[in-house]
Amino acid sequence: MSAGTLERVVVVGNGIAGLTAADTLREAGFDGELTVVGDETHPAYSRPALSKALLLDGDDTSSHALPPPGHGATELLGVRATGLDLDRRLVTLDDGAALPYDRVVLATGSRARRLSGLPDEVTLRGLDDALTLRRRLADRPSVLVVGGGPLGMELASGCLAAGCRVTLVSQGVPLSAQLGPHLAGVFAAAARDRGLTVVETRGARVEGRAGDARVVLDDGAVLDAEVLLTAVGDVPNTEWLAGTGLVVNGAVPVDSRGLARPDVAAVGDLAAFPTPRGLRRIPLWSSAIEQAKAAARALVHGEDAPPLAFQPYFWTEQFGLTLKAVGHLPAAGEPAYADGEPGGGPALMTWSQEDGTTTAVALDYRIPIPRLRRMTRAAA
Amino acid sequence: MKIVLDRPRCEGHGLCEEAAPQLMHVDDDGELVLDREEIDEADAALANAAARVCPVAALRVE
Repeated sequence: MSAGTLERVVVVGNGIAGLTAADTLREAGFDGELTVVGDETHPAYSRPALSKALLLDGDDTSSHALPPPGHGATELLGVRATGLDLDRRLVTLDDGAALPYDRVVLATGSRARRLSGLPDEVTLRGLDDALTLRRRLADRPSVLVVGGGPLGMELASGCLAAGCRVTLVSQGVPLSAQLGPHLAGVFAAAARDRGLTVVETRGARVEGRAGDARVVLDDGAVLDAEVLLTAVGDVPNTEWLAGTGLVVNGAVPVDSRGLARPDVAAVGDLAAFPTPRGLRRIPLWSSAIEQAKAAARALVHGEDAPPLAFQPYFWTEQFGLTLKAVGHLPAAGEPAYADGEPGGGPALMTWSQEDGTTTAVALDYRIPIPRLRRMTRAAA
Repeated sequence: MKIVLDRPRCEGHGLCEEAAPQLMHVDDDGELVLDREEIDEADAALANAAARVCPVAALRVE
Protein backbone atom coordinates (compact mmCIF):
# COMPACT_ATOMS: atom_id res chain seq x y z
CA MET A 1 0.00 0.00 0.00
CA SER A 2 1.42 3.34 -1.01
CA ALA A 3 1.02 6.39 1.15
CA GLY A 4 0.64 8.59 -1.95
CA THR A 5 1.61 12.23 -2.40
CA LEU A 6 3.41 14.10 0.33
CA GLU A 7 2.51 17.76 0.43
CA ARG A 8 0.75 18.20 3.77
CA VAL A 9 1.69 16.74 7.15
CA VAL A 10 -0.22 17.31 10.38
CA VAL A 11 1.47 16.58 13.70
CA VAL A 12 -1.09 16.23 16.48
CA GLY A 13 0.61 16.91 19.80
CA ASN A 14 3.25 19.44 20.77
CA GLY A 15 5.19 17.59 23.45
CA ILE A 16 8.74 16.41 22.84
CA ALA A 17 7.45 13.62 20.55
CA GLY A 18 5.47 15.97 18.30
CA LEU A 19 8.22 18.59 18.32
CA THR A 20 10.90 16.04 17.42
CA ALA A 21 8.71 14.55 14.70
CA ALA A 22 8.19 17.98 13.14
CA ASP A 23 11.91 18.80 13.28
CA THR A 24 12.85 15.42 11.85
CA LEU A 25 10.35 15.68 8.99
CA ARG A 26 12.23 18.79 7.88
CA GLU A 27 15.63 17.15 8.33
CA ALA A 28 14.39 14.22 6.24
CA GLY A 29 13.63 16.63 3.42
CA PHE A 30 9.94 17.35 3.80
CA ASP A 31 9.46 20.94 2.63
CA GLY A 32 5.68 20.98 2.28
CA GLU A 33 2.94 22.36 4.47
CA LEU A 34 3.47 21.36 8.10
CA THR A 35 0.95 21.97 10.87
CA VAL A 36 1.46 21.23 14.56
CA VAL A 37 -1.55 21.05 16.86
CA GLY A 38 -1.07 21.33 20.64
CA ASP A 39 -3.78 21.36 23.29
CA GLU A 40 -1.69 23.47 25.68
CA THR A 41 -1.13 27.15 25.06
CA HIS A 42 2.54 26.80 26.07
CA PRO A 43 5.22 26.06 23.52
CA ALA A 44 6.80 22.61 23.94
CA TYR A 45 8.75 22.15 27.19
CA SER A 46 10.72 19.52 29.04
CA ARG A 47 8.32 17.37 31.03
CA PRO A 48 10.95 15.51 33.10
CA ALA A 49 12.06 18.84 34.62
CA LEU A 50 8.61 19.47 36.09
CA SER A 51 8.92 16.99 38.92
CA LYS A 52 12.60 17.69 39.50
CA ALA A 53 14.32 21.05 39.05
CA LEU A 54 11.21 23.12 38.43
CA LEU A 55 9.74 22.34 41.85
CA LEU A 56 12.87 23.58 43.55
CA ASP A 57 14.95 25.90 41.46
CA GLY A 58 14.15 29.05 43.39
CA ASP A 59 13.59 32.14 41.29
CA ASP A 60 14.85 30.39 38.17
CA THR A 61 11.91 28.76 36.43
CA SER A 62 13.54 28.06 33.10
CA SER A 63 14.75 24.50 33.71
CA HIS A 64 11.87 23.22 31.60
CA ALA A 65 12.43 25.64 28.72
CA LEU A 66 13.28 24.25 25.30
CA PRO A 67 14.77 26.19 22.40
CA PRO A 68 12.12 27.58 20.07
CA PRO A 69 11.22 25.20 17.24
CA GLY A 70 12.94 25.56 13.89
CA HIS A 71 10.53 23.49 11.83
CA GLY A 72 8.63 26.45 10.43
CA ALA A 73 5.28 24.78 10.96
CA THR A 74 1.95 26.48 11.40
CA GLU A 75 1.43 26.03 15.13
CA LEU A 76 -2.12 25.78 16.42
CA LEU A 77 -1.75 25.94 20.21
CA GLY A 78 -4.54 25.71 22.75
CA VAL A 79 -6.51 23.60 20.29
CA ARG A 80 -7.50 19.98 20.78
CA ALA A 81 -7.94 17.33 18.10
CA THR A 82 -11.33 15.68 18.38
CA GLY A 83 -11.32 13.19 15.55
CA LEU A 84 -9.39 11.49 12.77
CA ASP A 85 -10.95 10.45 9.47
CA LEU A 86 -8.59 7.93 7.87
CA ASP A 87 -10.52 7.65 4.60
CA ARG A 88 -10.82 11.36 3.92
CA ARG A 89 -7.48 12.10 5.60
CA LEU A 90 -8.79 14.79 7.92
CA VAL A 91 -7.96 15.79 11.48
CA THR A 92 -10.89 17.56 13.13
CA LEU A 93 -10.33 20.12 15.87
CA ASP A 94 -12.43 21.38 18.77
CA ASP A 95 -12.61 24.84 17.20
CA GLY A 96 -14.53 23.33 14.30
CA ALA A 97 -11.66 23.31 11.82
CA ALA A 98 -10.67 20.24 9.79
CA LEU A 99 -7.07 19.83 8.65
CA PRO A 100 -6.43 17.75 5.53
CA TYR A 101 -3.23 15.71 5.47
CA ASP A 102 -1.21 13.36 3.31
CA ARG A 103 0.56 12.01 6.41
CA VAL A 104 -0.34 12.45 10.06
CA VAL A 105 1.67 12.01 13.25
CA LEU A 106 -0.31 11.01 16.35
CA ALA A 107 1.57 12.41 19.34
CA THR A 108 -1.10 13.33 21.87
CA GLY A 109 0.74 11.63 24.72
CA SER A 110 -0.93 10.60 27.92
CA ARG A 111 -2.44 12.21 30.97
CA ALA A 112 -2.28 11.44 34.67
CA ARG A 113 -4.45 8.60 35.85
CA ARG A 114 -6.67 9.82 38.66
CA LEU A 115 -8.18 8.04 41.64
CA SER A 116 -11.16 10.38 41.90
CA GLY A 117 -12.88 13.29 40.23
CA LEU A 118 -12.28 15.49 43.27
CA PRO A 119 -10.56 18.81 42.63
CA ASP A 120 -8.51 18.28 45.80
CA GLU A 121 -6.78 15.33 44.19
CA VAL A 122 -3.75 17.03 42.63
CA THR A 123 -1.82 15.38 39.81
CA LEU A 124 1.32 16.54 38.05
CA ARG A 125 1.57 16.15 34.33
CA GLY A 126 1.77 19.54 32.67
CA LEU A 127 3.58 22.82 33.23
CA ASP A 128 0.53 24.47 34.78
CA ASP A 129 0.27 21.62 37.31
CA ALA A 130 3.91 22.07 38.28
CA LEU A 131 3.67 25.84 38.65
CA THR A 132 0.55 25.48 40.81
CA LEU A 133 2.18 22.89 43.03
CA ARG A 134 5.32 24.98 43.32
CA ARG A 135 3.26 27.93 44.58
CA ARG A 136 1.40 25.80 47.08
CA LEU A 137 4.61 24.33 48.49
CA ALA A 138 5.79 27.81 49.48
CA ASP A 139 3.37 27.63 52.45
CA ARG A 140 4.95 24.33 53.53
CA PRO A 141 1.72 22.38 53.73
CA SER A 142 1.59 18.79 54.93
CA VAL A 143 1.59 16.55 51.86
CA LEU A 144 0.22 13.10 51.18
CA VAL A 145 1.55 11.44 48.04
CA VAL A 146 -0.22 8.36 46.69
CA GLY A 147 1.95 6.29 44.36
CA GLY A 148 5.38 4.77 44.97
CA GLY A 149 6.68 4.95 41.39
CA PRO A 150 9.41 7.30 40.15
CA LEU A 151 7.06 10.28 39.80
CA GLY A 152 5.49 9.82 43.24
CA MET A 153 8.93 9.50 44.80
CA GLU A 154 10.30 12.54 42.94
CA LEU A 155 7.33 14.57 44.10
CA ALA A 156 7.72 13.35 47.68
CA SER A 157 11.40 14.27 47.52
CA GLY A 158 10.64 17.73 46.14
CA CYS A 159 8.00 18.39 48.79
CA LEU A 160 10.36 17.30 51.56
CA ALA A 161 13.09 19.54 50.16
CA ALA A 162 10.59 22.41 50.17
CA GLY A 163 10.20 21.92 53.91
CA CYS A 164 6.94 19.97 53.99
CA ARG A 165 6.01 17.01 56.14
CA VAL A 166 5.42 14.22 53.63
CA THR A 167 3.75 10.82 53.80
CA LEU A 168 3.92 8.50 50.81
CA VAL A 169 1.42 5.70 50.24
CA SER A 170 2.77 2.87 48.11
CA GLN A 171 1.67 -0.55 46.96
CA GLY A 172 4.60 -2.49 48.40
CA VAL A 173 8.12 -1.07 48.66
CA PRO A 174 8.36 2.18 46.63
CA LEU A 175 10.08 1.81 43.26
CA SER A 176 10.40 -1.99 43.54
CA ALA A 177 8.07 -2.58 40.59
CA GLN A 178 9.92 -0.08 38.40
CA LEU A 179 13.55 -0.51 39.47
CA GLY A 180 13.75 -3.93 41.13
CA PRO A 181 14.49 -4.78 44.75
CA HIS A 182 18.15 -3.75 44.97
CA LEU A 183 17.77 -0.19 43.70
CA ALA A 184 14.42 0.25 45.44
CA GLY A 185 16.16 -0.59 48.72
CA VAL A 186 18.82 2.05 48.14
CA PHE A 187 16.20 4.73 47.45
CA ALA A 188 13.97 3.67 50.34
CA ALA A 189 16.89 4.07 52.74
CA ALA A 190 17.74 7.52 51.38
CA ALA A 191 14.08 8.55 51.58
CA ARG A 192 13.80 7.44 55.20
CA ASP A 193 17.03 9.26 56.09
CA ARG A 194 15.52 12.47 54.74
CA GLY A 195 12.39 12.04 56.82
CA LEU A 196 9.86 10.54 54.43
CA THR A 197 7.10 8.54 56.08
CA VAL A 198 6.21 5.54 53.90
CA VAL A 199 2.93 3.68 54.32
CA GLU A 200 2.74 0.40 52.43
CA THR A 201 -0.69 -0.84 51.48
CA ARG A 202 -2.35 -3.21 49.06
CA GLY A 203 -4.81 -0.61 47.92
CA ALA A 204 -5.90 2.96 48.52
CA ARG A 205 -8.83 5.07 47.41
CA VAL A 206 -9.54 8.77 47.52
CA GLU A 207 -12.73 9.79 49.28
CA GLY A 208 -14.43 12.96 50.32
CA ARG A 209 -16.22 16.02 49.12
CA ALA A 210 -14.80 19.09 47.48
CA GLY A 211 -12.52 20.81 49.97
CA ASP A 212 -11.94 17.70 52.04
CA ALA A 213 -10.26 14.84 50.23
CA ARG A 214 -8.62 12.01 52.11
CA VAL A 215 -7.16 8.60 51.43
CA VAL A 216 -8.64 5.40 52.76
CA LEU A 217 -6.34 2.37 52.83
CA ASP A 218 -7.46 -1.21 52.30
CA ASP A 219 -7.34 -1.86 56.06
CA GLY A 220 -9.70 1.05 56.67
CA ALA A 221 -7.07 3.48 57.95
CA VAL A 222 -7.68 7.09 56.91
CA LEU A 223 -4.89 9.50 55.98
CA ASP A 224 -5.25 13.23 55.54
CA ALA A 225 -3.04 16.18 54.60
CA GLU A 226 -3.29 19.72 53.34
CA VAL A 227 -2.15 18.70 49.88
CA LEU A 228 -3.16 15.37 48.34
CA LEU A 229 -0.99 14.42 45.37
CA THR A 230 -1.52 11.26 43.38
CA ALA A 231 0.96 9.73 40.93
CA VAL A 232 -0.57 6.43 39.90
CA GLY A 233 0.30 6.05 36.28
CA ASP A 234 -0.78 7.55 32.98
CA VAL A 235 -3.59 7.08 30.48
CA PRO A 236 -2.88 7.51 26.75
CA ASN A 237 -4.89 10.29 25.11
CA THR A 238 -6.51 8.16 22.43
CA GLU A 239 -10.20 9.03 22.85
CA TRP A 240 -10.09 11.29 19.79
CA LEU A 241 -9.09 8.24 17.72
CA ALA A 242 -12.29 6.34 18.57
CA GLY A 243 -13.72 4.63 15.54
CA THR A 244 -10.46 4.56 13.61
CA GLY A 245 -9.54 1.03 14.62
CA LEU A 246 -6.06 2.30 15.48
CA VAL A 247 -6.42 1.88 19.24
CA VAL A 248 -5.82 -1.51 20.86
CA ASN A 249 -5.93 -1.86 24.66
CA GLY A 250 -5.84 1.89 25.02
CA ALA A 251 -2.67 2.45 22.99
CA VAL A 252 -1.80 2.70 19.29
CA PRO A 253 0.25 -0.29 18.14
CA VAL A 254 2.89 0.56 15.54
CA ASP A 255 5.54 -1.28 13.54
CA SER A 256 9.29 -1.00 14.02
CA ARG A 257 9.28 2.33 12.15
CA GLY A 258 6.53 3.85 14.28
CA LEU A 259 3.85 3.49 11.64
CA ALA A 260 0.28 2.37 12.29
CA ARG A 261 -0.36 2.61 8.52
CA PRO A 262 1.84 3.91 5.70
CA ASP A 263 0.32 7.38 6.13
CA VAL A 264 -0.11 7.36 9.92
CA ALA A 265 2.69 7.46 12.51
CA ALA A 266 2.15 7.23 16.26
CA VAL A 267 4.93 8.36 18.58
CA GLY A 268 5.50 9.00 22.25
CA ASP A 269 3.43 7.98 25.24
CA LEU A 270 0.39 6.74 23.28
CA ALA A 271 2.30 4.36 20.99
CA ALA A 272 3.05 0.70 21.68
CA PHE A 273 6.09 -0.32 19.64
CA PRO A 274 8.02 -3.58 19.23
CA THR A 275 10.58 -4.22 22.00
CA PRO A 276 12.45 -7.38 23.04
CA ARG A 277 9.61 -7.81 25.53
CA GLY A 278 6.86 -7.52 22.94
CA LEU A 279 4.70 -4.59 21.92
CA ARG A 280 5.13 -2.02 24.70
CA ARG A 281 4.47 1.56 25.62
CA ILE A 282 7.64 3.09 27.04
CA PRO A 283 6.57 6.54 28.25
CA LEU A 284 10.04 8.05 28.73
CA TRP A 285 11.61 11.24 27.41
CA SER A 286 14.32 9.53 25.36
CA SER A 287 11.81 7.00 24.06
CA ALA A 288 9.56 9.76 22.72
CA ILE A 289 12.52 11.36 20.95
CA GLU A 290 13.79 8.16 19.35
CA GLN A 291 10.33 7.03 18.27
CA ALA A 292 9.59 10.43 16.73
CA LYS A 293 12.85 10.47 14.76
CA ALA A 294 12.34 6.99 13.34
CA ALA A 295 8.68 7.56 12.46
CA ALA A 296 9.22 10.95 10.82
CA ARG A 297 11.92 9.47 8.58
CA ALA A 298 9.64 6.56 7.73
CA LEU A 299 6.82 8.94 6.73
CA VAL A 300 9.17 10.60 4.24
CA HIS A 301 11.31 7.68 3.08
CA GLY A 302 9.09 4.65 3.70
CA GLU A 303 10.88 1.34 4.10
CA ASP A 304 14.21 2.94 3.17
CA ALA A 305 14.18 4.53 6.62
CA PRO A 306 15.98 2.53 9.31
CA PRO A 307 13.75 0.85 11.89
CA LEU A 308 13.82 1.98 15.49
CA ALA A 309 16.67 0.41 17.45
CA PHE A 310 15.63 1.63 20.84
CA GLN A 311 17.28 1.05 24.16
CA PRO A 312 15.54 2.77 27.06
CA TYR A 313 17.29 5.55 28.95
CA PHE A 314 15.79 6.41 32.30
CA TRP A 315 16.96 8.78 34.99
CA THR A 316 15.65 10.05 38.25
CA GLU A 317 16.79 12.46 40.93
CA GLN A 318 15.36 12.17 44.40
CA PHE A 319 16.34 12.23 48.07
CA GLY A 320 19.87 13.35 47.17
CA LEU A 321 20.50 10.45 44.79
CA THR A 322 20.77 10.46 41.01
CA LEU A 323 20.26 7.39 38.91
CA LYS A 324 20.86 6.88 35.21
CA ALA A 325 19.89 3.60 33.61
CA VAL A 326 20.31 2.21 30.11
CA GLY A 327 18.34 -0.89 29.22
CA HIS A 328 15.17 -2.44 30.54
CA LEU A 329 14.05 -2.12 34.13
CA PRO A 330 13.23 -3.49 36.69
CA ALA A 331 16.55 -5.12 37.39
CA ALA A 332 16.10 -8.47 39.10
CA GLY A 333 18.43 -9.67 41.83
CA GLU A 334 21.82 -8.27 42.79
CA PRO A 335 24.08 -6.26 40.47
CA ALA A 336 27.61 -6.88 39.22
CA TYR A 337 29.80 -3.89 40.13
CA ALA A 338 31.89 -2.27 37.40
CA ASP A 339 32.87 0.40 39.94
CA GLY A 340 31.94 1.05 43.53
CA GLU A 341 30.73 -1.61 45.91
CA PRO A 342 27.68 -2.79 47.81
CA GLY A 343 26.66 -0.77 50.84
CA GLY A 344 26.35 2.69 49.43
CA GLY A 345 28.32 5.39 47.68
CA PRO A 346 28.67 6.04 43.98
CA ALA A 347 28.41 2.86 41.93
CA LEU A 348 28.36 1.65 38.37
CA MET A 349 26.39 -1.56 38.09
CA THR A 350 25.13 -4.03 35.51
CA TRP A 351 22.44 -6.67 35.54
CA SER A 352 22.13 -9.53 33.05
CA GLN A 353 18.42 -9.72 32.42
CA GLU A 354 16.43 -12.86 31.72
CA ASP A 355 15.58 -11.70 28.19
CA GLY A 356 19.28 -11.71 27.30
CA THR A 357 19.72 -7.93 27.47
CA THR A 358 21.96 -6.07 29.88
CA THR A 359 20.93 -3.13 32.02
CA ALA A 360 23.62 -0.67 33.13
CA VAL A 361 22.97 1.69 36.02
CA ALA A 362 24.98 4.63 37.33
CA LEU A 363 24.04 5.61 40.87
CA ASP A 364 25.42 8.97 42.01
CA TYR A 365 28.00 8.44 39.29
CA ARG A 366 28.66 10.94 36.55
CA ILE A 367 28.95 9.09 33.27
CA PRO A 368 27.97 9.91 29.71
CA ILE A 369 25.16 7.84 28.25
CA PRO A 370 27.21 6.63 25.30
CA ARG A 371 29.55 4.99 27.81
CA LEU A 372 26.64 3.45 29.73
CA ARG A 373 25.35 2.13 26.40
CA ARG A 374 28.74 0.57 25.64
CA MET A 375 28.62 -1.22 28.99
CA THR A 376 25.40 -2.93 28.02
CA ARG A 377 27.07 -4.22 24.88
CA ALA A 378 30.41 -5.20 26.41
CA ALA A 379 28.64 -7.27 29.03
CA ALA A 380 26.14 -8.82 26.63
CA MET B 1 25.82 31.41 15.41
CA LYS B 2 27.03 30.06 18.67
CA ILE B 3 26.26 27.17 21.00
CA VAL B 4 26.09 28.26 24.64
CA LEU B 5 26.34 25.83 27.54
CA ASP B 6 24.95 26.60 30.99
CA ARG B 7 27.52 24.48 32.77
CA PRO B 8 26.06 24.46 36.31
CA ARG B 9 22.80 23.21 34.85
CA CYS B 10 24.34 20.41 32.74
CA GLU B 11 23.93 16.99 34.35
CA GLY B 12 25.99 15.12 31.81
CA HIS B 13 23.16 13.03 30.41
CA GLY B 14 24.83 13.12 27.02
CA LEU B 15 21.67 13.03 24.91
CA CYS B 16 23.12 16.07 23.10
CA GLU B 17 26.19 14.09 22.12
CA GLU B 18 23.96 11.39 20.70
CA ALA B 19 22.13 14.03 18.66
CA ALA B 20 25.18 15.96 17.47
CA PRO B 21 28.43 14.01 17.96
CA GLN B 22 30.10 16.29 15.39
CA LEU B 23 29.68 19.28 17.71
CA MET B 24 30.09 18.04 21.27
CA HIS B 25 30.98 15.14 23.50
CA VAL B 26 30.84 14.19 27.15
CA ASP B 27 34.33 13.44 28.46
CA ASP B 28 35.32 10.60 30.76
CA ASP B 29 34.57 12.74 33.82
CA GLY B 30 31.02 13.26 32.60
CA GLU B 31 31.65 16.90 31.64
CA LEU B 32 30.23 18.19 28.40
CA VAL B 33 32.85 19.54 25.99
CA LEU B 34 31.77 21.74 23.10
CA ASP B 35 34.08 20.74 20.28
CA ARG B 36 32.76 23.62 18.21
CA GLU B 37 31.06 26.64 19.69
CA GLU B 38 30.93 28.87 16.62
CA ILE B 39 28.76 27.21 14.02
CA ASP B 40 27.50 28.10 10.60
CA GLU B 41 24.04 27.80 9.09
CA ALA B 42 24.76 24.26 7.87
CA ASP B 43 25.14 22.99 11.44
CA ALA B 44 22.27 24.98 12.93
CA ALA B 45 19.75 22.16 12.66
CA LEU B 46 22.18 19.77 14.32
CA ALA B 47 22.93 22.22 17.13
CA ASN B 48 19.24 22.86 17.66
CA ALA B 49 18.56 19.14 17.78
CA ALA B 50 21.18 18.81 20.51
CA ALA B 51 19.71 21.69 22.48
CA ARG B 52 16.23 20.27 22.07
CA VAL B 53 16.96 16.87 23.57
CA CYS B 54 18.55 18.29 26.71
CA PRO B 55 16.04 17.55 29.47
CA VAL B 56 17.44 20.27 31.73
CA ALA B 57 17.67 23.02 29.10
CA ALA B 58 21.42 23.46 29.56
CA LEU B 59 22.16 24.26 25.91
CA ARG B 60 21.05 27.08 23.69
CA VAL B 61 21.87 28.23 20.22
CA GLU B 62 22.05 31.97 19.64
